[in-house]
Parts: sequence; structure tokens; C-alpha cells
Amino acid sequence: MASADKTINTDVPEKDVFAIHFLQSLSNLRIQNLFNSPDTTNYRVRKIKKAAYVSMARAAGGTSRLWSRALLRRAAKGNNKIVRFPRRKRKVTWKISSKRRRSDQRAPVVEDAAERLRNLVPGGGGMETSKLMEETAHYIKCLSMQVKVMQCLVDGLSPK
Amino acid sequence: MSNRRSRQSSRASRISDDQMIDLVGKLRQFLPEIRERRRSEKVSASKVLQETCNYIRNLHREVDNLSDRLSQLLDSVDEDSPEAAVIRSLLM
Repeated sequence: MASADKTINTDVPEKDVFAIHFLQSLSNLRIQNLFNSPDTTNYRVRKIKKAAYVSMARAAGGTSRLWSRALLRRAAKGNNKIVRFPRRKRKVTWKISSKRRRSDQRAPVVEDAAERLRNLVPGGGGMETSKLMEETAHYIKCLSMQVKVMQCLVDGLSPK
Repeated sequence: MSNRRSRQSSRASRISDDQMIDLVGKLRQFLPEIRERRRSEKVSASKVLQETCNYIRNLHREVDNLSDRLSQLLDSVDEDSPEAAVIRSLLM
């Protein structure tokens, strides 16, 4: 079997890392007195959902992954915060614009599906297809972990 | 544009199509549905990508539902119930 020259690392942290980050986000929301005020339900739900995604991005490695960087940047834009990302030392890779992407030469049916995937994964628009695969794998793992954490929380809070 | 292909194959550092197939194969492992089926290795890449898209959409929907339920639960907790004590100890 042809093996990749570089091993692709898709490890995610344990469930409790996600849980701690999420609970911290929730407690921040609580401090903002979100839960006791008669706010519109929709606003509250949106805040919780945003807290879930942001805490997931932080738990999964913060700025070390392309999708989590894109997610945090998007969330910070919504808050009108100025976010500074530390300069990463990385190998020079060309930023390939969508028109001249090298992956245009792969089978077009693969590229169609990859395009749909790009819309779903945060930050996917600027990634080359092979990088997209790697980021997707990590994103899926983190998302399912986050869903597990939230499910546990809901189960624990539901009346018996 | 036609000479780009010959230029590209001469670069050893780029990911080749074989490695691409390998990556897609690895991605397959994370999809619960395909993993359960006993298929040969030759699952088409586009099918895998399609399943991935569906899976991600499902996960997003799950997050939405769970956020909704969490919001209701956190709002409707009685002050004296054991759940309130748990929340207080966890979130404060």
C-alpha cells in the first residue's frame, strides 16, 4: 500500500479537555447574566451554539489547525474584537487562489465533492484538496467529541 | 496550461495521486456508515467525500439541537433542585 511520506497527525485531545473548555464558556455566559434575564430564547441559543464552536476550536488546539484558526477568526469578527495570531513558523507553501488551484487537475467529480466540503469546513476555501482532507478528518473528530460532551451535559441536566 | 501537468509530476515533494487515495482511505475510517460496510478498498473518492459532507451536516444539526435543549434546560432549572446545585458547583 502506498504510504504517505509524512504521517498525518489527526489526534484530538480527550473528552474532558473539550468538556472543560465548554463549561468555561458556559460559565462566562452565565457571568454575563444571560440565563436569568428574560432575553429572547433565540439569542440565548445562538450564544450557546457560538460558545460550543469556540470552545471546541480552543480545545482542539487553538491556532495550530487551519479550521480552528478560521473558526476563531470568524467568531472574533462577530465580537468586533481584534485578534492577534502569533506568527507560526511554517514551511513556505504557496497560497493558491481558487482559480489556479493545482487540484483542478484531479478528476472533476472529486473536485465537485471537494468544493461542497470546502463550504462546510471552516477555512476550507483557501486549502488545497489534500490539506482539506487532513483538516476535515480532524474537524470531524473534534465535532463528534463536542457533540458527545453536549449530549452528556443535556442528559445530566434532564429531569429523570 | 498543458505543460503544468508534466511540471507537476516531476516535483517529488507534492502529494501524488497515490497519497491522495491513501488520505481518502484514512478519511473513510472516520465515517461511521462506511466503516460498517464490508466493502473492498475501491470505494470511490467522490462517494467518500459525499458521505463526509452528509456526516458534517448531521453533526452541525446535532449541535444546533443540543444547544437548543441546553438553553431550555439551563433556563428552567428550579432553584432548589439537585441539578441547580450541580450547575452552581460546575459553572461558578
